[in-house]
Amino acid sequence: MDPLYLDHAATTPVRPEVRESMARCLGEAFGNPSSSHRWGRAARVTLDEARRQVAAVLGATPGEIHFVRGGTESDNLAIFGRAARARTEGRSPRIAVSAVEHPAVLRAAEAATAPGGAPVILSVDRTGALDMDALDRALLEGLDVVSVMWVNNEVGTALPVREVAERVRAAGSVFHSDAVQAVGTLTVRVDQLPVDLLTLTGHKIYGPKGTGILFVRRGVSLEPLLRGGGQEGGIRPGTEDVAGAVGFAEALRLTVAEQEREHQRLSALRDDLERRLRSAVSGVRVHGEDGPRAPHISSLGISGVDGASLVMALDMEGIGVSGGSACASGSTRPSHVIEAMYGSDGTWAALRFSLGRTTTDDDVRRAADATARVVARLRDDG
Amino acid sequence: MSGGVDSSVAAALLVEAGHEVVGVTMKTFCYTDVPGHPRSCCGMEGIDDARSVAHVLGIPHYVFDVEDEFTHDVIDDFVAEYARGRTPNPCVRCNAYTKFRDLLARGRALECDAIASGHYVRIEHGPTGSVLRRGLDPAKDQAYFLWGLPREMLPSLLFPLGELTKREVRERARALGLRTADKAESQEICFVPTGDYRDLLRRKLGPTHPALEPGKVVNLRGEQIGEHRGYAGFTIGQRRGLGGGHPDPLYVLEIRPETRTVVVGPRVELFHDAVDAAELNWLAAPPEIGMRVNVQLRYRAPKVPARIRAAGSTLSVTLDEAQPAITPGQSIVVCEGDRVLGGGRISASFRTSRRTPPSPSALRV
Repeated sequence: MDPLYLDHAATTPVRPEVRESMARCLGEAFGNPSSSHRWGRAARVTLDEARRQVAAVLGATPGEIHFVRGGTESDNLAIFGRAARARTEGRSPRIAVSAVEHPAVLRAAEAATAPGGAPVILSVDRTGALDMDALDRALLEGLDVVSVMWVNNEVGTALPVREVAERVRAAGSVFHSDAVQAVGTLTVRVDQLPVDLLTLTGHKIYGPKGTGILFVRRGVSLEPLLRGGGQEGGIRPGTEDVAGAVGFAEALRLTVAEQEREHQRLSALRDDLERRLRSAVSGVRVHGEDGPRAPHISSLGISGVDGASLVMALDMEGIGVSGGSACASGSTRPSHVIEAMYGSDGTWAALRFSLGRTTTDDDVRRAADATARVVARLRDDG
Repeated sequence: MSGGVDSSVAAALLVEAGHEVVGVTMKTFCYTDVPGHPRSCCGMEGIDDARSVAHVLGIPHYVFDVEDEFTHDVIDDFVAEYARGRTPNPCVRCNAYTKFRDLLARGRALECDAIASGHYVRIEHGPTGSVLRRGLDPAKDQAYFLWGLPREMLPSLLFPLGELTKREVRERARALGLRTADKAESQEICFVPTGDYRDLLRRKLGPTHPALEPGKVVNLRGEQIGEHRGYAGFTIGQRRGLGGGHPDPLYVLEIRPETRTVVVGPRVELFHDAVDAAELNWLAAPPEIGMRVNVQLRYRAPKVPARIRAAGSTLSVTLDEAQPAITPGQSIVVCEGDRVLGGGRISASFRTSRRTPPSPSALRV
């Protein structure tokens, strides 16, 4: 049987339309967009068109879209860029982040406030709801940036970004959201929600790895992380990756065009997957199920089995899913997200299925059957 | 699969023999936790090499994280042994406690019937049980590392390299185009990538632990002849680190942790012919008193003929010929011919031979 990939929250395959757009660009628009001759102009026009396309999809202006080399860089630029701005004004930076942020935000916020400071960590409950009182208290004391992700990458919960954005705006502070897992299944538009800084990456939406953007609302000032030429409005110097920008823009356009249909289709598939697993396996909990969720991620807690063994056994069955968050060596460690939501209880193994545009009814049935079989076997052995 | 040539070829031979093979690397230790150590060090590269070899062989590869168990069973024991003035065998501990036990448990979850490794030993599975034998290549025999395996595990083990020499293994690896074919042997302890275990002891014990405090160096008459900078830096038979200026070469004969004293003397005093061991493990019926056996007292040391004097909760053997630098904390492996019967941890050694009269200082270590 063909292997079945159900790990789209980790990364996605580059779709053929995107590959073609990039190949064309690599062939025809190889010039340096900063050059004033025809080769430079051709590259510049291609890059500007990609930027306009991204801006149109997000409801931004082209000048607010900054191409960067991925989600981690975008998150770091938002956090460190705001912290460095505070320091140039002679203040120690103050940052608030949710407890379930991606490490690219958490580690950046820790480093940007050190030494001598620490970020305010906003706790999250089992429904994904955020401690708004803590946010209000922190805002009263003044914050340089608040970072709350749109959709959590491990459990799929949709965080209350509108409410956070409005409170941050009212307090005169700056709101950053990592929307890497939201775009494509939820509506992400900066003209409909007062977010100031927004992170997207290409490889979660069937685009190339090493691409992404940071949206920076006009009037919000940031210090660059790197020093060099004045590319990308001066906040991301370095000769632009034109083909990457084109691939990102094309991936974003196609993904958002399919968003409404995919939201419905994936919601139904996910509900079916969870229904099947609950009826076939005892001791199952669905992380974040009582709150709003993005439809493509289903994170399960399964009692009485070892998570690493579960992921390996499913791989042996040809099914690719993930357990806790992966570390560089490929082994797994307990998740800070599930710990923040459920406390540290070592008896539950975390298993994340993430569905994608090629996932079918049959795939979901097969995944549920295989999981039930493997869990039963692991429990017998235990 | 450590990422070395031996386990790579072991996996390849099993694939060739038609087994359905799953490659596993044990992550015993978080390499990025070593301060100032580059991220891409031996251990991480080992995992990457193993994954690459598995890919070439067309088999899955997984990383088993056994860091917590390894820290408890192996690193903490390693530190405690040095603190007691003994010299531990961490690889023996790891094989006996962590590696095989965990592999078997998790392997069962993946529906594996057996566990294989690239050790140079042989195993025979018969109707009356499984017999562990030394590797055929005497230069590479690794029974020394495996005497501590739980006996009930033997029927589930495979050692595909037991009949091969190292040269043959490298040739097989080259013929298969494995990138690990010409990789150097690892000599260092995996959790001491800097090579200086005293850094680890300082971290784990604190810099003011008695094992790391200065103490006396004395001769066999008990006279102080120098000072050392922590007895944990010494092992029996060591010459280095004692300072110069002595007419005859001096060797470490004994470490007395209670007084932080290191006893030194001439080479002849290193030779003992009776060994006691504890923490025994048997892979066959325990040997009987009076039985003729051969024993191995260090990795790559020759096996020497011996007679069993006691084998209950502790083991006592008399060696036909006295051997140098028998070291508490190291292993003794007991064999009958090439069959591995078991072993233990050396607790003491003495001199009993009539040919060399016992010295008045009765070297009980």
